[in-house]
Amino acid sequence: MNDYESEDTLFHSLAKICGSKNITIDPQNLKLYSNDMSFFKGNSPNLITWPSKTQEVVKIIKLANQMEFSIIPVSSSSKYRHHGDTIPRKDNSIIMNLTKMRKVISIDKKNRVVMIEPGVTFEELIPKLRKKSLRLLLPLYPTGTKSVLTSVLEREPIIIPRYHWDTSDPLLCTEVVFGTGDLFRTGTAAGPGTLSQQKKVGQAHVNPMGPTQFSPYRVIQGAQGSLGIVTWATLKLELVPTVQKVFHYHSNNIEELLDFQQKLVKYRLCDETFILNNLNLACLVKKTRNEIEDLANSLLKWNLIYILAGRGDLTNDKLNYLEGDINDLMGDSNLEHLESSNLIDRNEILECTNNYTSEPWRTRYKCSYQDIFFISNFENISNYIKKVELKYPENLGIYFQPINQGTSYHCEFDLYYDSKNEKETKDLQGKFNEISIDLMDSGAFFNRPYGYWAKEVYARHIEETSIALRKVKSIFDPKNVLNPGVLCFDE
Amino acid sequence: MLQKQVLEQFQKIVGPENVDDGEVMTNAYSYNWCMEFVNSMEGKEPLPFSSIPKAVLLPSNVEEVQQIVRICNKYNIQFKAQSTGLGPWNQPSSDNCVILDLRRMNKIIKIDERNLFAVVEPYVSGAQLQAETMKVGLMVHMPGAGPQVSPLASATSMNGPGFTSPHTGHSARNVLGVEWVLPDGEILKLGSTGLKNNSDWYIGDGPGPSLRGIMRGWAGAKSGIGVFTKVAFKLFPYPCSTKFKLSGISPNYEFEIPDYMKLYVIDCKSYNHLEKVFLKIEEEEISFICSHLSSYGLGAIFSNSIESLLDKIPIVGMKVPLVVLIAARTKREFEYKQKVMSKIMIDFKLENVIGSKYNPNSLFYAEALRSNLGLHGFIATGGFQSSKGQCDTVKVCLKTTKMSIPLKKKYIKRGVIGNDFGEGVWITSYESGHYFHIESPTMFDQTDEKSVKGMAENMEENHQFDLIKHLGAPFFVEGDKMHDLFGPEMMNYHIWLRKIKKAFDPNGIADSGFYISAK
Ligand SMILES: Cc1cc2nc3c(=O)[nH]c(=O)nc-3n(C[C@H](O)[C@H](O)[C@H](O)COP(=O)(O)OP(=O)(O)OC[C@H]3O[C@@H](n4cnc5c(N)ncnc54)[C@H](O)[C@@H]3O)c2cc1C
Repeated sequence: MNDYESEDTLFHSLAKICGSKNITIDPQNLKLYSNDMSFFKGNSPNLITWPSKTQEVVKIIKLANQMEFSIIPVSSSSKYRHHGDTIPRKDNSIIMNLTKMRKVISIDKKNRVVMIEPGVTFEELIPKLRKKSLRLLLPLYPTGTKSVLTSVLEREPIIIPRYHWDTSDPLLCTEVVFGTGDLFRTGTAAGPGTLSQQKKVGQAHVNPMGPTQFSPYRVIQGAQGSLGIVTWATLKLELVPTVQKVFHYHSNNIEELLDFQQKLVKYRLCDETFILNNLNLACLVKKTRNEIEDLANSLLKWNLIYILAGRGDLTNDKLNYLEGDINDLMGDSNLEHLESSNLIDRNEILECTNNYTSEPWRTRYKCSYQDIFFISNFENISNYIKKVELKYPENLGIYFQPINQGTSYHCEFDLYYDSKNEKETKDLQGKFNEISIDLMDSGAFFNRPYGYWAKEVYARHIEETSIALRKVKSIFDPKNVLNPGVLCFDE
Repeated sequence: MLQKQVLEQFQKIVGPENVDDGEVMTNAYSYNWCMEFVNSMEGKEPLPFSSIPKAVLLPSNVEEVQQIVRICNKYNIQFKAQSTGLGPWNQPSSDNCVILDLRRMNKIIKIDERNLFAVVEPYVSGAQLQAETMKVGLMVHMPGAGPQVSPLASATSMNGPGFTSPHTGHSARNVLGVEWVLPDGEILKLGSTGLKNNSDWYIGDGPGPSLRGIMRGWAGAKSGIGVFTKVAFKLFPYPCSTKFKLSGISPNYEFEIPDYMKLYVIDCKSYNHLEKVFLKIEEEEISFICSHLSSYGLGAIFSNSIESLLDKIPIVGMKVPLVVLIAARTKREFEYKQKVMSKIMIDFKLENVIGSKYNPNSLFYAEALRSNLGLHGFIATGGFQSSKGQCDTVKVCLKTTKMSIPLKKKYIKRGVIGNDFGEGVWITSYESGHYFHIESPTMFDQTDEKSVKGMAENMEENHQFDLIKHLGAPFFVEGDKMHDLFGPEMMNYHIWLRKIKKAFDPNGIADSGFYISAK
């Protein structure tokens, strides 16, 4: 069979599964998937398919095993794809676009859990939950069209460290189709019994661990779609507070803000908390370049935001206790001199912590950005700042997010540039690579190794890590049909 | 006994004084608590002994463990690792097995006050670690087994529910970096611990997928997937003042209750009401302990002897009790939490018996702080095992409790298990009420063959019951027989678990008696 014939066979086989109207080979459309906002270069897919049911996903993966083509799952309807993880690396690849699987299957207020399909976006889910006085554990001001499920599968950091009990939060149970085409359910959703039988006895799929002596959801998360395709998941929720009080301290000394924030997190005194440099805080709350520049220039370099929250009749009592205790802590730690800032309207900050944005806030300043992010302990943060600032002193946004009950930090350096300016872009690309490598060499832990990073990241880890991960890949996707070439799964 | 050449190689690794294949030592190690029960479950004579290990080895560091595991692979000998070694799951399942007793690996590697975690070796006990973390205002999550067991074993290899779970979570979810000798002898280091440069223990996931999912699930692999030689886990804020005043002589200490703690014991009267109260208290995020126990179980946690158990009439008469301990670091926090509790008590028409009808011995508060409450389960008959062990919503936990009462009563009537009116369960909340687990501690007489066999039957019938009624998978789904029973009803997970076993232990060297074999 020549290429043309095999493509035709593929089209027809897929059409039998999900209908020809749910497949496209339109070159314009395909081209959209051959690049993204990152520097990663890959191939164009052969076609795009939009399954709408789990069984269709199963059949397509089985077909891929038979016909030996690759599948790249994509869930966001957003045009803002980044990091190169959905760009095909092999010739014979298709995009499995899951945006038609967009049901909010159930919202359970009593057990604070929601069950959603992969195509459900932040702009859809946030208001739906709010109507029931529930809230998602959000990353910092997510883009509305982004898939909630992929944000969680990617381990995007959430902004309330006290609710981040485990790295995997807020992910709970999943339904997943492994690379073999086998359907599986993780955590308590595995059974015994069907989902409805389990629901009948009162289960709500809130325990992600297991079944029994392994936890497959942990390997699916962070796998960039290379082990299984998740067709629904349950996510942990919290109740919406009735009062939120925003605090903003700024300083030219990040150490003192980090010290203060550590105490807030250690004693679980606040809800949302993060530290941004002046430029990133301005990008977050302002829309135009001028507004951003004005605000950035008036802010001190480092900005600590934290939010106290309460609910119900005793809200004031709670806020009084929290504020009283925090004031005492500041006194005990000689931090009373810290300067509170009133430059930003508190509601502008709340908008960014409670809501979604229609355009990524990181594109507001210069239209384009490349982000370098990794996990660190507290001690190394200052060193990393120095390294990056040395190489990219201007147009640099910085974001530190304590995660996992304050045991580590998501560190993010946003390199802003104008991608329409060729020279600037070329320079930026060089800097981006150089800084990434420099950080890796200094021990920064790139736990989400995308695109070109992956090879460098695994080279800086003991060899056993890649060996063990390849064993896992050989179990769940032995024919390498799911997103081949990502992570340490070489083609 | 080992072949001479194997013995010599082991001696070379750990030193002759740290390996023993003599009859006395190997026979002694074949005993364990509740082994008679496990034998009975397997249809064997209910003796408290397992297969006799070929030898007992005491390695002192990761390199020695690695070399031992390599020799095991070379000579096709299985190994079983143990930390403090309490319980039948520490026992070899065949006579071709050596025991790695990790008691020489007893160091606290670090307490990272700034990044809020500790790194420990296997034989560090919860109590030992807590004594150190308290100095910096932090506490350790300890399993309900008590402060004498190994937090490393709990985090990497065993279960994880504890009395302080609303505040400190579950052992499996607190894990950060891990050092792990795989069954083929390679050393794997998870997360940031595996960095070649500047490695540290602050996270255990990635790069990419998290191998913590291979390490364990709701339950641990119980030495079936290698030996864990170091682990880092989160530390939590100590819930109240760390200043203790203790007097008296063991076991009758007087303890001055530290600032600020208050106990509530409430009769919710019905399971429906209990569900609502449980959820409400946990939504408010105020509890340090929030557990439902049967009234008998409640009596037990306040007693230190059978005699003292009998004077707990006001609480033993309760229908559906809930135990809530609130604790606070400051007076403001304490007052706020009490206000919330008072409001809940009024809204739900509840009464606190503490202070009105009953006042526990002050030692209770010390035991609550150091996770010592579980040990009271031994008081009545000396032996207990928990059936159940499922974990999801409070609803399913309560439904399981209710539905299982007739089943338990059947065995009580036969006189083979202790009489708790069939209601004896422990349900605790986790992470401020995001999930709950239930277990059914069941008392039996380990010295009485009829009782042991009855308990085994009871356990087996409970497993079948949970399976048929879709109540979730219990704790003790381990070993081939149980996996083959539950797997087909649970998405055939046993097939995947077997593949993992085969990929990570190609020679079948890690004893799989309490895990799964590749078959
Ligand atoms: C009376 C009683 C009550 C209990 N109550 C609870 C409870 O409420 N909550 C709870 O979570 N658990 C409970 N348990 C189980 C308990 O969690 C474990 O026994 C304990 O947490 C683990 O510590 P340990 O030192 O006793 O481990 P061990 O008993 O030494 O080991 C436990 C298991 O892990 C394996 N293991 C130990 N160390 C290693 C290692 N370094 N590498 C690989 N495998 C290893 C062993 O082979 C064994 O299978 C209870 C046990 C008893 C006896």
